[in-house]
Amino acid sequence: MELQAVLMAAGGGSRMMDLTYNTRKPLLPVGNKPLIWYPINLLERVGFEEVIVITTKEVQKMISTDPKMKLDVKMKLDIVCIQEDAHMGTADALRHIQQKIKTDILVVSCDLITDAALHEVVDLFRAHNATLSMLMSKAHEFTETVPGQKGKKKNGDFVGVDGTGKRLLFMANEADLDKGLVIRKSNMRKHPRMHIKTGLVDAHLYCLKKSVVDFLADNRSVSSIRGELVPYIVRKQFSKSMTSPNVNDEADQKLKKKDGNANVEIKILSRDEALLQLTRERSCWNDHRGDMSEAYHGGRLRCYVHIMDEGMCYRVNMLAAYIEANRLAPKLFDEPAVHPSAAISVRCLIGADSIIGASCQISDKASIKRSMIGASTTVREKVKVTNSIIMHGVTIEEGCNIQGSVICSNTVIGRGADIKYCLVGSAQRIEPEGEHTTAYYCLTLPSHTQVPLTSTLSGNSRVAKIQ
Amino acid sequence: MSSRGGKQKKGNVTSEQEEEEQPLQAVLVADSFNRRFFPISKDQPRALLPLGNVAMIDYTLEFLTSTGVQETFVFCCWMSNKIKDHLLKSKWCRPTSPNVVHIITSDLYRSLGDVLRDVDAKNLVRNDFILVYGDVVSNIDVSQALQEHRHRRKVDKNISVMTMVFKESSPGHKSRCEEDDVIVAMDSKSKRVLHYQKTQGLKKLQFPMNIFQHGSDEFEIRHDLLDCHISICSPQVAELFTDNFDYQTRNDFVRGILVNEEILGNQIHLYVTQDGYGARVSNLQMYDSVSSDMVRRWVYPLTPEANFTDQQGQGCTHSRHNVYRGAEVSLGHGSQMEENVLIGRDTSIGANCHISNSVIGNNCTIGDNVVLDRAHMWNNVHISSNVEIHQSVVCDGAVVKEAVRLNKQCYFSMLPVSQVVIGPNLSLPEGTVVSMHHPEEEEEDDDDEFLSDDQEVGHSKDKTRQKAFNPAEVGPEGKGYIWKASMNDTEDEELAQCLWGLVLNPDPESDSESEASEESQDRSRSVSPEIDDVNAFQLEVLGTLQRGLEENIVCDNLVLEINSLKYAYNITLKEVMQILTRVVLEYPFQQQGTQLTTLQYTGSLLPLLKTWSPVFKNYIKRAQDHLDCLSAVEELFLEQDTHQTAMVKVLMKMYQLEILEEEAILKWFSTGATNDKSRQLRKNQGLQKFIQWLKEAEDESSEEGE
Repeated sequence: MELQAVLMAAGGGSRMMDLTYNTRKPLLPVGNKPLIWYPINLLERVGFEEVIVITTKEVQKMISTDPKMKLDVKMKLDIVCIQEDAHMGTADALRHIQQKIKTDILVVSCDLITDAALHEVVDLFRAHNATLSMLMSKAHEFTETVPGQKGKKKNGDFVGVDGTGKRLLFMANEADLDKGLVIRKSNMRKHPRMHIKTGLVDAHLYCLKKSVVDFLADNRSVSSIRGELVPYIVRKQFSKSMTSPNVNDEADQKLKKKDGNANVEIKILSRDEALLQLTRERSCWNDHRGDMSEAYHGGRLRCYVHIMDEGMCYRVNMLAAYIEANRLAPKLFDEPAVHPSAAISVRCLIGADSIIGASCQISDKASIKRSMIGASTTVREKVKVTNSIIMHGVTIEEGCNIQGSVICSNTVIGRGADIKYCLVGSAQRIEPEGEHTTAYYCLTLPSHTQVPLTSTLSGNSRVAKIQ
Repeated sequence: MSSRGGKQKKGNVTSEQEEEEQPLQAVLVADSFNRRFFPISKDQPRALLPLGNVAMIDYTLEFLTSTGVQETFVFCCWMSNKIKDHLLKSKWCRPTSPNVVHIITSDLYRSLGDVLRDVDAKNLVRNDFILVYGDVVSNIDVSQALQEHRHRRKVDKNISVMTMVFKESSPGHKSRCEEDDVIVAMDSKSKRVLHYQKTQGLKKLQFPMNIFQHGSDEFEIRHDLLDCHISICSPQVAELFTDNFDYQTRNDFVRGILVNEEILGNQIHLYVTQDGYGARVSNLQMYDSVSSDMVRRWVYPLTPEANFTDQQGQGCTHSRHNVYRGAEVSLGHGSQMEENVLIGRDTSIGANCHISNSVIGNNCTIGDNVVLDRAHMWNNVHISSNVEIHQSVVCDGAVVKEAVRLNKQCYFSMLPVSQVVIGPNLSLPEGTVVSMHHPEEEEEDDDDEFLSDDQEVGHSKDKTRQKAFNPAEVGPEGKGYIWKASMNDTEDEELAQCLWGLVLNPDPESDSESEASEESQDRSRSVSPEIDDVNAFQLEVLGTLQRGLEENIVCDNLVLEINSLKYAYNITLKEVMQILTRVVLEYPFQQQGTQLTTLQYTGSLLPLLKTWSPVFKNYIKRAQDHLDCLSAVEELFLEQDTHQTAMVKVLMKMYQLEILEEEAILKWFSTGATNDKSRQLRKNQGLQKFIQWLKEAEDESSEEGE
């Protein structure tokens, strides 16, 4: 086995609490499948037979019991549960399963929906004997209007790659660059042409050497892969201080002070390094041209990145991404849009780009366009649903008009309600005849509380955005 | 300004068609405005120095003509007559020349900025023009760049003022000149220059964030570019130089445009060529590499045998291994011309010589058993037998006697009449410079800071003649002065270093050191607690003073900076003075560590006090200020109790510099003591004496006053 797959599915979805209040992020329905199905399917498509899934007890229970959450996969799932309240980061989780790791690993996050060619990433990893290779994609503009979202723009990442666009040389968040972008000249000398790209999304898909996991085991301070480990390795690519034999004692001591990882470098080396070294010496191949120094300039750590130019790649970690993913996800699999067990009246109108889940009931004169209807949902007469996401077990009474909204599970929408660009939390009860034409933002409250829509956002700003 | 507005308006009225019809113009600056080729350039302007037996300016003109330039303005300053003579004799001034050359001379040009201001004043250019130096060797076809430039100007309404031409060449390439090592941040799509910086001597490269906030999401940071010093300029460039009289060089201009981009809305773009050749012979290292590239035919079609200058007798034949021979070359028995050798006409070479990678000028004689490798010999050089020359330049009319060995990076400069003679039986070490000019001539000249390469010297010739040549340096029969040996002060050392350019690869160790230090910095940064305003202010003042010292900033400007800091950190005037005093007094410790002896301390402090006395005077005006300053001094020396003896000297100096008045010192001495320690301090013998002296002086002066 060349690579072991690890799926990180313990995240709570803290950036879209409204959706994940009742349903854990891995189980959010996207195209009527739980989110976690997509990365598993991705792995299955490229031929993985086994995956280690790191998740919480709750999710595990739901996957094994709830029929709606059933994962329709042939792959062997090795589920490892971690405590939900332990605040474990992704790197902590890797450390947790260190015993299970026997080879290099492929780490995937559960919120990744992509049609990327995974082999591109793995090939980079193989070809360059890389320490780390990762997947990135051009950020997509979200086409749909997002209900109740503040128009706050996230700080972008600055990613520096070399002339070939593959070698990852630099990575920093805009927020950390208040003093400007600083690059050491010696790095520029080695890689004289650096492309700085912004507007990329990190797919959170990493190939890592086994030695990196061992390194993690020795360095308990690193808790997140994306936040700490990856930037650390990227930075370390150019550090020579630890490999050069003539490091003075002072520097040595400094390094030892730093939680005793003085021999990090050595550990990060692969087992066959001696052989590989020999191969490289005997070969006339070189990774760069221009100067006469050896391949990779003698560096031992190498990070590579595959940047997708086209195709889809979404990380469902925000409401906007969730809506967009729902719009596009159905294209990823070729299953009938309408589940065979759904009871659909002949006299209703269902657009080709809509998905109807299992055991749905859709009554006469209902019209459903560009929407997803979850399992066991009841849609009564003369209901119009456009551009919306309706989760499981929702009941929509007669004559409702729902547009551009997200309705979470087990909600009841009263007769004749008019809902536009709203987010309705789970198990809500919307008053009949309510007209919510302006954009309201609906708070998620404990189950079965009857509340009118609560406005938390100034109407003007939302209206402006819709227009 | 009104006249300019009118001019521009008129320019806009002219139709595009007319624009296209106008001939392409070029501005050629035939002066380097620096002294890199000193002392060679004392006798010959740099543009006329031979490279591959052809004057450098001819390459530049050929380049311009071949790219379709129809009108060239040659600006000369130093030795303009020589350049004029040369050009008038050359093919450029024949009536058939497709490129009309106008020669404009003035002794007043001190920089590129002056030249361009003159271009503007004389209203010479009407359209986009090419700006080059007289020492650029290139075969780049800039028509593509020109087209892109024109297109941008048409689309963006004259926003783009300049397109710089770069050649792609990786770091470490030998034709890269350390001086011109630049880092460029550009927008990948629009090819716009966002940041331009010379990297010489820098370890870290910093890019301000605002350059990345122009809407584009892809940038390139390029360190693999060689500046060809060819720029395509819009007519506004000359105007911008006039408007900004402080622009001296193109570097000033580019940086100025980039910094003020948002205000003025001017942009600079770049054009990168992959296969053309373009380089500026800006120092001897570049001379060496460009010359060898020339012989190796990288600058095709500008090759030695092409005789593009169309001069009689300049032709030569090209045979394999890039060996070129001029007319009437005689070669002795057993002599080998290995590869990349160019030999000018009427040169004779003795027996059993071994010549490789060398250029030999016209009318040279070379004896038997001579070894030449990477040697550049100009015309009328006489080399005796058994001489060995490696990587050296031997200028016009030099005589090298028997059994002389020239090691790497020697070069001789000679007067055409009285030639330098070297040897016999001598070995010159690396980096030697021998000239008929005495180095002191130049030192006398050094007073003028803006001195160009090539200032008129001429006066002290008689004096020089009287000085004897040193046989130990130039050999028993030698004539000439060694240059480098006499260069002791730092400035000259710098100059000597620049002669051959700097070494390209800095030692890797320093690299890793910086790495380690960076690591530690990282850590210290993360743990350091937040510093309060006063401390921050103190650090800033220290930084300001440091910079002031390094960059030789006028004290008035330092005061300005400190004042603005004062407002930024909300510091009272009293505190400013105390902190200033403290920073200055601690400065030697800051710079040289705390283990200084008292003697060293005062030695380095007193000159500083002198330099910064205007800064002090600005803050110390009222009587209370004097006392505050004194108490700050006292406080510091109470802390540094090992150096208390230095206090007297400091006070003395401050008194002499009229920073402190004697009344204040006396008052401080008599009243300031508040605790045991300061009382102890006042018992210092030196201090007592100083006070005594002050008192007496006061008495005397008061007596005189009466």
